[in-house]
Amino acid sequence: MRLRPFALVEPETIPEAVEILARLDGEARVIAGGTALVPTMRLGLVTPDRLVSLHRIAGLSEVRVDKGMLEIGAMTSLSALMRYGIVRDGWPLLAHAAARVATPSIRSSATLGGNLCYAEAASDPAPALLCLEAQVRVADSVGERVVPIGEFFTGFYETAVAAGEILTAVRVPPMPEGARAGYVKFCPRSAEDKPLVGVAALVTLDGAGRVSDIRLALAGAAPTPIRARRAEAALRGETLTDAAVRAAADAAAIEADPLSDLMGSADYRREMIRVWVRRLLLSLR
Amino acid sequence: MRLDFTLNNRPYRLEAPDHWTVLDLLRDGLALTATKYGCGEGVCGTCTVLLDDEPVRACLVLAARLRGRTLLTAEGLESNGAPDRLQSAFARAGAAQCGFCTPGMLLSARALLAANPSPTEHDVREALAGNLCRCTGYTKIVEAVLAAAGPR
Repeated sequence: MRLRPFALVEPETIPEAVEILARLDGEARVIAGGTALVPTMRLGLVTPDRLVSLHRIAGLSEVRVDKGMLEIGAMTSLSALMRYGIVRDGWPLLAHAAARVATPSIRSSATLGGNLCYAEAASDPAPALLCLEAQVRVADSVGERVVPIGEFFTGFYETAVAAGEILTAVRVPPMPEGARAGYVKFCPRSAEDKPLVGVAALVTLDGAGRVSDIRLALAGAAPTPIRARRAEAALRGETLTDAAVRAAADAAAIEADPLSDLMGSADYRREMIRVWVRRLLLSLR
Repeated sequence: MRLDFTLNNRPYRLEAPDHWTVLDLLRDGLALTATKYGCGEGVCGTCTVLLDDEPVRACLVLAARLRGRTLLTAEGLESNGAPDRLQSAFARAGAAQCGFCTPGMLLSARALLAANPSPTEHDVREALAGNLCRCTGYTKIVEAVLAAAGPR
């Protein structure tokens, strides 16, 4: 089955791309790797007249460190991201989460920018980026703005990227000194699936073993990827005892607002959030 | 749109509609039908091809992405009519039943062995996780890939 015909535009610079988006009539979509958009088009859920592909824009696939911040071009593939030495060494949480997405032949095409713009609630990279307090660069025909990742996901498959704007890069601050971090995903069907629930955590302990900084983020637990603020508050200043971890896992399960779908009911998701938050936190003691 | 690329070690120059995927171009444009249309949504893996040596889903990649790049399909595996090492190993192990998944399996396995010449069984299963075999012949497929790999 063919895709419904569309015109493809392939700009070579960001200003050219946003200028094209600003003057297009009809439905236009930005395409990166296509691993989310093409199936959505094939199912007839979106029927764009034009696609603006970002693949010819030089520099959008670059990964570099700038004044301690990791800067990831929006078109960086997840397979490239998980292989970069600077990412694995400095931001292992992000490298690990990227490596858990789907399969090798999806990760080679799928991009970090595309993953965020698709705004799947069950994204693997999103909880890692929420814990790392990343920033998202967004360009339009006027200029550029920076959106904190905590404000990026605005609703069910909705983001802060407005019509006419392009996500150009993701900036990730350095991991806090001495922090421990991890990402776990629970897939009841098969290992390459999107997570029923995904949990990322970044924990810093003080000299007495008390939690001085805790960031906990969930995928598949609400209409968007979320930080579990109440669970974080329950742990701050505590030692990671079995009881404290259990209380935090309960808090996360209560503050989650999961959906029911073919993968699992809201109640099942809530229970799995409780289980996997507890398992991840215990592994970080 | 005009496309220049290398396919199975030969240069190609051709015109393709904007909305064609790599799979449309292979099957309908070039009548190269080793690469199968399975789900069309990037799930089943039977359209897996190697683009600049990396496995991709031909049903998801727009044909425009081929420009200046190198594509390998199952038709490009044999040389002078002789099967390559993986194809021979699949034949010896009986790793094909209906055969619909086999081209994708061969290319995913080829990418694995290029990156990791001596994989463990776990490595093989992980590399083939996105290639579904509905005859459920996974055991012999994994055995074939391990046989084609060098000794550990």
